[in-house]
Amino acid sequence: MTSPFHTVAADWLDQSVVEIRLDHSVGSGFTWAFDVVVTNAHVARASRLEVRLPDGQTRMARLRLADREHDIAILDVPGLGLPAVLRRDPGLLRPGEAVFAIGHPWGVPHAFCSGVVHAFGPLPPGYPVPDGVRRRTWVQADLRLAPGNSGGPLADASGRVVGINTMIAAGLALAVPVTEVDALVARRAA
Amino acid sequence: MTATLAAFSDQLADAVARAADTIVSVHARPRLPSSGVHWRDGIVVSTDGTVRREQDLSVTLPNGRRVPAELAGRDPGTDLAVLRIQPGQLPVTSLGDPATLRPGHLVLAVGRLGDAGPRTAFGAVSAVGGKWRCWKGGEIDLWLQSDLTIYPGLGGGALVSPEGAVLGVNSGGLSRPLATTIPVATVTRTIEQIVAKGYVARGWLGAAMQPVHFSEATRRRAGITQEGGLVILSVEPDAPAALAGLMVGDVLVALDGRAVSHSDQVLEQLAGDVVGRTMAAELVRGGRLERVELLIGERPRPGR
Repeated sequence: MTSPFHTVAADWLDQSVVEIRLDHSVGSGFTWAFDVVVTNAHVARASRLEVRLPDGQTRMARLRLADREHDIAILDVPGLGLPAVLRRDPGLLRPGEAVFAIGHPWGVPHAFCSGVVHAFGPLPPGYPVPDGVRRRTWVQADLRLAPGNSGGPLADASGRVVGINTMIAAGLALAVPVTEVDALVARRAA
Repeated sequence: MTATLAAFSDQLADAVARAADTIVSVHARPRLPSSGVHWRDGIVVSTDGTVRREQDLSVTLPNGRRVPAELAGRDPGTDLAVLRIQPGQLPVTSLGDPATLRPGHLVLAVGRLGDAGPRTAFGAVSAVGGKWRCWKGGEIDLWLQSDLTIYPGLGGGALVSPEGAVLGVNSGGLSRPLATTIPVATVTRTIEQIVAKGYVARGWLGAAMQPVHFSEATRRRAGITQEGGLVILSVEPDAPAALAGLMVGDVLVALDGRAVSHSDQVLEQLAGDVVGRTMAAELVRGGRLERVELLIGERPRPGR
């Protein structure tokens, strides 16, 4: 018996997901390009971090840049050797589309959870979250995240990454759109 | 299986898009708006709990236009509020049959907040049952609960099948942790009554009652078998009970041919479209069984 939620796409994406360890906390990250990992800035709180690969091996990562405002960090991980993820513009998502997350909630390694797109964009005025959170552009998902999912990928039904799982607000899963990583890289390169 | 999930994902998004054409944002409380469903042309239904003011109401249509609305009426008993907008502005929602649902069926909650796109949650039906009386007093045709998360503002929106049919109105306030849906039949009936009268009329006797047990001797003397009834504690002047001659100390044992020994059973008899109907009441008075005719009145509404 296979479940429609157990997809080749999830197994395949999982090969790009890493654990990021600092002191006693665990966060998630995923392979953006050759030997480059993307995670949340609130996960990458040191200049050197330990990264654990899906096969259990570890590598040392160096923080290349952290954008606290957008909560994005880019790590250089020499010898990472994992495949880069495919991406999709989250602005094209439709509410109701299936999405899934891979991460390490409460330290449980490589856990999968599924849900649907709730909405895309800022939260409406009056939404019960702090204004600084409300005004940002989010991939909003009806999906159960937990601490440890931070920095991990949110992907569409075909395994294409649309966001970085970042926080839970009023029960909603909020992910930074992957397009903001591109924008950050473009800004820093300029 | 990726193709299967991608196809299913597309189907869910299509269902949301189809239902969302008929789902509006309701501006009737401070701060966060709620959701509403365009049930009949010019008629939007939402939850009573999210319609906090009666003046200066508006709704945002799926095309982003904000238009004025007025309150046609509300029914706290079923947690529904009915709003009027100018007809012909958007399609009417396509209704499904929630009676076909079983636990495990997949469902969506669809709502809208302001001028952005629709918002949705996905889950499964948790429990389905028969008629029940809501703790707010109304009779609801079907017990329908799901594990959907009713996020802020999704209340008043629709429960939607994977085919895009609307199965009811989701109430954020009726229960937790499971989401409760007011099914199509209850919503349609409540809208009809509110559009006709501006409110939902409920039957009224005008007597306070309390359950009592009969002794063996009383049962023998009155020639009845049931163990208890409802003793009349007070009768309001000129109320239906008073006009029928009910007196303090009478014990009501049957109403409209059905035995009653608990006040819920009387409320159930008075819940439907019964105002103006005559019902036979059986009561034990002075140890003997007597029969009176009761002309059911309309329960006075608080604050009117």
